[in-house]
Amino acid sequence: ENREAMLNSKSNRLTEALEEANRLFDGVCRAREAALDAQFLVIASNIGKEKANELHSEMSAFDSTAFAEDLLTFMGINRTEVEESDDSEDVPGGFLPSDAWQTLGEEAAKYFRRAPTFHYMMGSFKSDPPVPKQRIERQKKASRGKAERAMPAQLKRMEESHQEATEKEVERILRILQTHFENDPNTPISFFDFVIDPNSFARTVENMFHVSFLTRDGLARIKLDEDDLPIIEPIKPSEEGEEDSRAGARNQVVISLDQKEWK
Amino acid sequence: QVSELVQFLLVKDQKKIPIKRADMLKNVIREYRDAYSEIVNRAGRTLQEVGGVRQGKGRVLGETPCGLTLVPPQVFGLQLVEIDTKRHIYILINNLPHAEGEYLCRGKEKEKMGLLLVILSFIFMKGNSVKDSEAAQCHPSLTLIPRKQHSVFGDLRKLLTEEFVRQKYLETTPIPLTDPPEFKFQWGPRAEKETSKKDVLNFVAKIQGKDPTFWASQYSEADAAR
Repeated sequence: ENREAMLNSKSNRLTEALEEANRLFDGVCRAREAALDAQFLVIASNIGKEKANELHSEMSAFDSTAFAEDLLTFMGINRTEVEESDDSEDVPGGFLPSDAWQTLGEEAAKYFRRAPTFHYMMGSFKSDPPVPKQRIERQKKASRGKAERAMPAQLKRMEESHQEATEKEVERILRILQTHFENDPNTPISFFDFVIDPNSFARTVENMFHVSFLTRDGLARIKLDEDDLPIIEPIKPSEEGEEDSRAGARNQVVISLDQKEWK
Repeated sequence: QVSELVQFLLVKDQKKIPIKRADMLKNVIREYRDAYSEIVNRAGRTLQEVGGVRQGKGRVLGETPCGLTLVPPQVFGLQLVEIDTKRHIYILINNLPHAEGEYLCRGKEKEKMGLLLVILSFIFMKGNSVKDSEAAQCHPSLTLIPRKQHSVFGDLRKLLTEEFVRQKYLETTPIPLTDPPEFKFQWGPRAEKETSKKDVLNFVAKIQGKDPTFWASQYSEADAAR
């Protein structure tokens, strides 16, 4: 019970407790009491170990408060009374900008030897001999509904993990779409603005692939605006029911995009 | 078989959950069991071969989330490391020291690495283990009250005790006979491989604008660990 008091390096409570336990043990003649004693020994030895640890770290005391303060400074804390924006994170002493954790993460990356993750494999694995014989199979899901050019190839055996990664991506894209829409519900989002990655053709195709899942599952819809250009918007859960009952609501769109066009 | 294993490992690594030998045998190697070690060695070598990720033209194997081009197959710069020799469990780490942030441009990954580094630093500086009740001290915005959501990380408790533990960045050990039950956080085997006490001490020193030798015992421990 008095764990904290015992840990205090200046206290002799642990020693006293041990001496007391010794005295008591002499009078023990029942098993239950012996068991309690054993339990006490375990606790006492744990406390002893912790005390030893504390002594060790006291040699070079680490001031966690100072560390936390300096961390906040590094992360760009705004120490004024006024809240910057809704995005700011409320911490004691001020507000952190919304990209505070990004800033920290940027720095943190330098201290780890973390392997980059591959989320998307295009084409077959071309390597020096032996050349693997791979059965590339179109994902069954993707062949229904909207079709696009350059569907990602996929090894049969890796279907499972690839599927999970895809689902996660789709979820992520849905969230992004919803956030954009929430921030500005009256401005339609251009489909091409949404999917095109100006730096990567492959990524663009990947985005289109994931968006197709959203439309297939009734989570988003693509319409044509006055200029006949496609726009995309998320479908609110309350609308889902209506969509199904409307006849002829489904359309098929084939979008072809090659690298030149993308550029 | 080797290239299949390489691809299998890369896909499995996406979630940073360590890879078991049993899975490798079942899904890729199968009937070639006898050649298992040979295949694994060659896969390891393939992953290692010189280079790293760079921008440029070349045959595209795939894209990392940031759209960098990878030129197969010799340009991985990764290392296959066994973190549990008894149960034969592996992870992939980067051979190239101190990868730049561009690898992690998926926002959430970067933010988590920041949090992780802060926690690992805290654990090390406090003597290599920290009680769960203390863990939130390392950053003012953290709290480990269950179900209280952090604005960036959501369920922090889950992130620390489940995700980071499954990925082997952290380890939790119950403290016996505590009531209510408490546990302690320590570095996990992935943390040991992907970073070092020295690196982490350098981080703390940088943040606090001091020399690493300011913390004498941590400094000598970090030095001895190399």
